[in-house]
Amino acid sequence: MLPVIAALLAGPGYAGDTPLERATKLYRMNHYEQAVKFREYLSSVRPEQKGIAYLSLGIFYLGNARLHGGFHEASVSVHIDYFKKISSMRGKDRSRVVNLYMAEALLEDGRPKQAALYLKKTIEDSGIKAGHKAIAKAGLGLSHYLRGEKQQAEAVWSELNGSSNPEALSELAAAYGRARLNERKPAELCEKALSMLKKSGKKPSVRVIGNTIGVYARADMIDKGLDLLRDADLKAFSYEESPDRNKVIRFYDPSLLGNLSMLYAKAGIVYLTKALDSPAVRDMARYHLGEAYAFLGMVDASGRAASALVSSAQTPARLKNSAKVRQAANLYLGGGKSKATGLLEKLSRENPKDPFLLAEILLACSSLKAECLIAAESASALTEADGGRRLSRINYALGRYYLGRKDYAKAILYMEAGRDKGNKNKIESNDPLMLIDLAKAYYSTKKFSEALEIYFEMSKQFEAVRQIQVAMQGIYSMEQKSAGDVKVF
Amino acid sequence: MKRLMGVLLIILFIGIFSVPLGTEAASRKDGRPDGGTLNYGEYGRPTTMDPITSNDMISLRITELVFNGLVGINEKQVIVPELARRWKMTEKGRTYTFYLRKGVTWHPRGNEKPKTFTADDVVFTYKIMMHPKTITPLKVRYEFIESVTKVDDYTVRFTLKRPILNALAKFSFKVIPKHGPKNSRYLSRNDPFVQKPIGTGPYMIKEITADREVILVANNKYFKGRSHIDKFVAKPFADQNIMTQALMFNAIDMIVLVNPRVIPEIQGDRRYVLQPYNALSYSFFGYNMRNPLLADKRVRTAFTYAVNRKEMLNSFFNNQGTIISGPFAPGSWAYNLDVQPIPYNPGKGKALLMEAGFTPGPGGIMEKDGEQLSLTLKVPIEKESEAVKRVVLAFKSYLQKIGVNIKVEFKEWLAWKEDVFYSHDFDIIFASWVFDDSADISSLFHSAEIGKGKNNFGAYSNPVVDSLIVESKLTLDHEKRRTIYRKLHALMADENPYTFLWTLTNYAAYHKKVRHVAIHPYKFFSFADEWYMPGGGR
Repeated sequence: MLPVIAALLAGPGYAGDTPLERATKLYRMNHYEQAVKFREYLSSVRPEQKGIAYLSLGIFYLGNARLHGGFHEASVSVHIDYFKKISSMRGKDRSRVVNLYMAEALLEDGRPKQAALYLKKTIEDSGIKAGHKAIAKAGLGLSHYLRGEKQQAEAVWSELNGSSNPEALSELAAAYGRARLNERKPAELCEKALSMLKKSGKKPSVRVIGNTIGVYARADMIDKGLDLLRDADLKAFSYEESPDRNKVIRFYDPSLLGNLSMLYAKAGIVYLTKALDSPAVRDMARYHLGEAYAFLGMVDASGRAASALVSSAQTPARLKNSAKVRQAANLYLGGGKSKATGLLEKLSRENPKDPFLLAEILLACSSLKAECLIAAESASALTEADGGRRLSRINYALGRYYLGRKDYAKAILYMEAGRDKGNKNKIESNDPLMLIDLAKAYYSTKKFSEALEIYFEMSKQFEAVRQIQVAMQGIYSMEQKSAGDVKVF
Repeated sequence: MKRLMGVLLIILFIGIFSVPLGTEAASRKDGRPDGGTLNYGEYGRPTTMDPITSNDMISLRITELVFNGLVGINEKQVIVPELARRWKMTEKGRTYTFYLRKGVTWHPRGNEKPKTFTADDVVFTYKIMMHPKTITPLKVRYEFIESVTKVDDYTVRFTLKRPILNALAKFSFKVIPKHGPKNSRYLSRNDPFVQKPIGTGPYMIKEITADREVILVANNKYFKGRSHIDKFVAKPFADQNIMTQALMFNAIDMIVLVNPRVIPEIQGDRRYVLQPYNALSYSFFGYNMRNPLLADKRVRTAFTYAVNRKEMLNSFFNNQGTIISGPFAPGSWAYNLDVQPIPYNPGKGKALLMEAGFTPGPGGIMEKDGEQLSLTLKVPIEKESEAVKRVVLAFKSYLQKIGVNIKVEFKEWLAWKEDVFYSHDFDIIFASWVFDDSADISSLFHSAEIGKGKNNFGAYSNPVVDSLIVESKLTLDHEKRRTIYRKLHALMADENPYTFLWTLTNYAAYHKKVRHVAIHPYKFFSFADEWYMPGGGR
């Protein structure tokens, strides 16, 4: 889509290195965190350029949302593996708070029942600090609520009434937010927590920040959320436990990444919606809006955006096909699995040599965890004919498709084929989502150092990935089986 | 008639060389064809080819083809049987009993009848490795063993001084034959065995040519079944560009480590596969602390400030790597993410030298007590690739700017190793370390590892580091070990026994005619017995 933006930017109003041009260049290099800073220049954009500016900013935020969504997914999975190992350790030097963090990771993974077990352990553990117990109670209430046990949820939550612990307050607010209990005014609770911290001269912890941006995102208080991030240290750990002089364990909360992703996606929606007012970019804005809605699981809104594109005679063919893929995916999510699969098969059969569309189909299939043999076969034939990495997008789509099917050898084969090996870990040269998936494939095949190298490079642009690095290092240190050899060369 | 004679000769030739010399191992029943020769490009020739005295990657790759351990570690990080068919751990990890395979034979020497592998060989390997006169970097790794006992011909028991983390993996050390070395008490670099060793592995060393090519042929009696590829040939290249050209013109089939600058060229060629493997290596300038000038931490730190690593990485390696801050690679579990590399700041470097008592002398060279700050940098000639040459010359130039005179000496690989690891005759070296997944730096920085043939070539000694290393070895807690390693990283970054440089992008490149290629991230050829070349690779 970026060539379109670039073409639009090439107009006389953008001759020279304008802030939007700079931001677009950063986006092209996949430096999303830098690109979205264009938001600060929005007020200086001339009225006739507002449409393209909104569209661009919406796309930048959507890219950042997807990327952080990828980080979130990776972090949850690695953290569960890591916490499992930590919690299995026994002895006096064992971790006490691991149960709390394990529960939080399980909640992020959509497993409230299992999370509750760990939360109860935390609450019952006499060696756990009151602050952590309060946080556990907020989580336990949520896990009850998500399983329909509303009375139990209320009972646990009521124990936190009047809490003066800012972290616990923000945790309670986050739980209310996730339970969609807007009447409890979760945003106000967060603000109370922030104000308590301010009064005591303390900076908000990463837990408070993570919870607050999640609450703000859910309440559509996007600007406030984005402003809160301005000075936040996103690589900070949530808690450091020292059971021994030479044993320090740092705990992170993967929900931070999920909340960042949601906030960015909602920011994307805000700006893409504004871009709809501009006829010159309307189709493009509508397409991305549909994608943003789909990303947030808002299937109906996504469907409306896709339908509008499909039915419009002005929509370019490529965009129309993409919208059809989105329609099929929404249909699949709405329960029409076989009809959706049929539509995707039809599109694949009709366009066996369209790498762009086949990639879209395969990426949709991997998100849906659906089998799409025809698209996979056609895509595979295209990559074989190509041989090189010109079709990096389709190689990635195939890799992701096979990753979803746990065929790691094929996943690595295709993603490596599409990778710019001269700059193997550089996000400027490789789709960062592809790198995340490749790291996942390497992690799954216990080639930890390959995965860690990828995240090491990414951390230079996205400091929030520190949590993935630390957890993955932990797994690696426990899983590796080596003799202790070192050689000179 | 001539043609008929030719055909007869070929038939006779095939007949002679296909006569079995004894009981052959069964071919692998995997349906993959046998045949072909795999020529691979190396960066030089190995100093020794036995697994005990060697400490370089070229040798390691060869020993991986020739020898086996009691256990192996497969691609999924699972410990699997090799020479031991099973094992038993007792006394809460204090004893390990290995039950050995029967019917394994050593590679024959000349026309001798192949000898059988037994527990005696295992006991022998351990004892010769630990003998005080055997110069090997392996001792530090096996000091946790209290004793080894032959229970019977096919059972051997190791008693540990204490249980340790990952003990079983350490029994992947390569076993050598009792009848191998000429001197059966200790192994030296003068023993003929280290130049043409025999093992139990999938390939046997057949010949070392006048061009120092090492020719290995498939071991027909290999206990896992004969390997598919008939022959491996290690071809040494002093120049990386020539090695790349050799690949492009089909003179070799594989490069074990591709020069980062040519990766795009190879990726653009459909004939080749590029495969990433070891991410745990880094380059450095290492200092000899026997020289009193370099024993001062401020001097070493000044050098690190003076060197513009970013500029070198960009200019000489197309930015295909990562600058590091300490003694671990960024892909390692031990890397301390909180420690940032020392920034380029020659002004601060100069100030540190002044603080250490140096003053500018004639020609701008720093002096102290009438002695000029003039040092020798030794670089192995195999590293005399264009990029490395530029790195060392840039280093010289950066240091000149803060008043340090560097004299660069390129040395032939064997002579360089002699100067660095044996006679310790150098001030600074340029080299790289490659680690396995354990990220074990104890042999590099523990003071007990100072001495001939040991890895602490620079005689770095720090009681705090020593005690942390010892504690990391004693603990059975992974998280504790990790914390200690993070502390070590921070300490080393501050102490600068090396100027830590970068990790480069590591790819192997091979022709697509070689199939089923799995590369061990560290040992490289661990799974080479399963590779094959359809049609003999023609």
